[in-house]
Amino acid sequence: MTVSTAAGSKPVPAAAARHETPRRPSGNSGDVAESRRRSPRVPLLLLVPSVVILLAALGYPVAWQLVTSFRKFGLRQQFGQPPEWVGLENYKNLLTDPSLWAVVVRSVVFCVVVAFLTVAVGGLLALLMQRVTRAARIILQVSLLLAWAMPVVAAMTVWIWIVDWRRGLLNWVLVHLGFEAAEGHNWLAQPLSFFVVAGVIVVWMSVPFVALSVYAGLTQVSDEVLEAAQLDGASWWQRLRYVILPLIAPVISIVLLLQLIWDLRVFTQIKMLQDAGGVANETNLLGTFIYQLGTGKGDFGMSSAVSVVMLGLTVALSWHYVRSLMKEEAS
Amino acid sequence: MKKLTGLVAASAVAALALTACSNGSASSAASSNSPADNSKKTITLWLAGGDTPDELRTYLKDTFKAKTGATLAIEEQSWGDLLTKLTTSLPDAENTPDVVELGNTQAPTFTNVGAFSDVSDMYEELGGSKLLPSFVEAGSVDGKRFALPYYFGSRYMFVRKDIWSSAGVATPKTLDEFNAAVSTIATKNPRSIKNFSGFFIGGQDWRNGISWIFANGGDLAKKQDGQWVSTLSDPNSLKGLAQLQAIYKTASKAPADAKDQSPWLYINDSDAITDDKGAVTGKTSLAAATIMAPGWAHWSIGDLKTVDGKATRVWNPKTFGTLVLPGNDGKPAPVFAGGSNIGISATSKNQDLSRELLRIIFSADYQKKLGGAGLGPANSDYVSSLGTDEFAAALVASASNSKLTPAAPGWAAVESAQLMEEFFGKIRDAADLSALATEYDAKITPLLNQK
Repeated sequence: MTVSTAAGSKPVPAAAARHETPRRPSGNSGDVAESRRRSPRVPLLLLVPSVVILLAALGYPVAWQLVTSFRKFGLRQQFGQPPEWVGLENYKNLLTDPSLWAVVVRSVVFCVVVAFLTVAVGGLLALLMQRVTRAARIILQVSLLLAWAMPVVAAMTVWIWIVDWRRGLLNWVLVHLGFEAAEGHNWLAQPLSFFVVAGVIVVWMSVPFVALSVYAGLTQVSDEVLEAAQLDGASWWQRLRYVILPLIAPVISIVLLLQLIWDLRVFTQIKMLQDAGGVANETNLLGTFIYQLGTGKGDFGMSSAVSVVMLGLTVALSWHYVRSLMKEEAS
Repeated sequence: MKKLTGLVAASAVAALALTACSNGSASSAASSNSPADNSKKTITLWLAGGDTPDELRTYLKDTFKAKTGATLAIEEQSWGDLLTKLTTSLPDAENTPDVVELGNTQAPTFTNVGAFSDVSDMYEELGGSKLLPSFVEAGSVDGKRFALPYYFGSRYMFVRKDIWSSAGVATPKTLDEFNAAVSTIATKNPRSIKNFSGFFIGGQDWRNGISWIFANGGDLAKKQDGQWVSTLSDPNSLKGLAQLQAIYKTASKAPADAKDQSPWLYINDSDAITDDKGAVTGKTSLAAATIMAPGWAHWSIGDLKTVDGKATRVWNPKTFGTLVLPGNDGKPAPVFAGGSNIGISATSKNQDLSRELLRIIFSADYQKKLGGAGLGPANSDYVSSLGTDEFAAALVASASNSKLTPAAPGWAAVESAQLMEEFFGKIRDAADLSALATEYDAKITPLLNQK
């Protein structure tokens, strides 16, 4: 999972950096020359601790992973036998293995669908929060926070109860609504309905973050601009599409980027649903696939190789966003 | 402002870094090497799941302290995480537990990579040929003993006597009779319960399902020219699988992806739903006439009563009964022998103390205590300590012919890849069983021979 952490942390410095646009200590203008002379060294020195921590916390595992991915590293090696260097063999086996491609395609589709859905639902909730009364808004925000703060395992336990084939709430409600066929229906048995359930759960868990971020973005849209647009005869939809959305686009894009990365490395939800039912090998996403290869089958070489592929995939998926974010910084 | 963002960034980095370092150091051995003073030493025993009762744990700790002066720390690991934890902890001399319990089918994987210390020299002392042979075999490599049997369990049927008799079905004497009986019960469904199973067996419940393969002379894998080969598509295995498919289709209403978790839910009445006029409103709760489960499941089966203020299941011999799955040859059918092995971590720094602990575990005292707790003792001399009740009788009878999963080094990999769950889950709806079995043989064989 180190890979994902590495990727997940990327936006943080970028976001923090945004606020560091030249805001020189104003005041003594006589110091300008001196500060210019001194400045290149001090910021660099200040960066050292975080770079060291990053290297130790992320660099080492990633490096180990890279090295291991070029080795034949199984349970025997874990128990002390020298690993054999096999070069690109793990990658060769991997890339010619149709089951990897099935997992990759599944993961990417799942991640894109769920991420966009999350942002859409979260955005709509943010718009809703803006329109309702203060009391309703606070209730909404508190419930969003509660859902956000819920530990994944606890939330998953409840979700698994809800979709339980025999005593689950979902089937009970469906039967009472007149869908007799729902009695005893197992939602996790078929991969498609498995992913619908997983998708709903993941969306539910990540919507609060999106909703609150987008809501924060919306509060920055000034009333004057909206009023001006209204006076010019822009409809509600036109105001949303041509005024609000462009103004909060930076927020939406970073939130979407984070969602894409998070949803690509989704693990706990899938693992727990697999344990509750379902066919593991037909519902594996990258996270559970790596877990199964590594800790499950004891093939650490191959699982490192998949992790490296996953890192590449994360970079590829987020490349466009990171670049446009950096362009924004530059401008 | 700049300071603030810097601070925020720093704490974010710190938070990220924190998640990266997980395992702190566990108890490490004390430095003193003199055998006389063990009082500062602690050895760690990992027990898997809650199968070993508290009373036995206390006995181990007290006896160990009295015998060696050292402290025994018992840590319980859940079955689900056990493989992972063993893989990461055993190779690490600083963090390894000293003695570990692990599932009998997981033992070959670890003995083959040298995770355990050789205890061949004390094998005779601990019980020798009296120890359960199939378990000893699972923990041995090339005649050297690494992991020894800890306890055994076995699987048998729990039946609703009332429903069996109202369906007019006699107690089966052969496997064929059993297969027919459960299907008849499901068809007759004497209480008109919706989705009623004559025999409730989950689609992915391979640990129970393999009994049909074994009972027809089939097996999961065999060793051929030094290599392990999966044998699901052998004729005898297929014969058993076809019988199982018939059960899935006609006798069991369990979902295709149900595993072997808590099947007793389906044969218990739910007393809470019966109203006080005696009218049964809770028909939905009872859903099966028969289940197959490990022997200890009997603690969860019975009428719901309140004992000492706690809701407890009390076995009611009028309603419930046990049945050892019969084979077609007059003997009990070979069922999956559950149970555990126990071994000393090869990297442990407390080899002598760990051996001392094994001596206590294999002592007559502790073996009898295992039997008293309903766990089959490793040493056959003490099997009588299981008692004489219906459950002990069923346990001993079903275990008499029980079988283990293949002792292939890669068997644990097959289990953790959940291939067996997947294969069994597909049996019910398979149009061509033999093609399905061949497909999974091809998936399993490469895993059996460890890398």
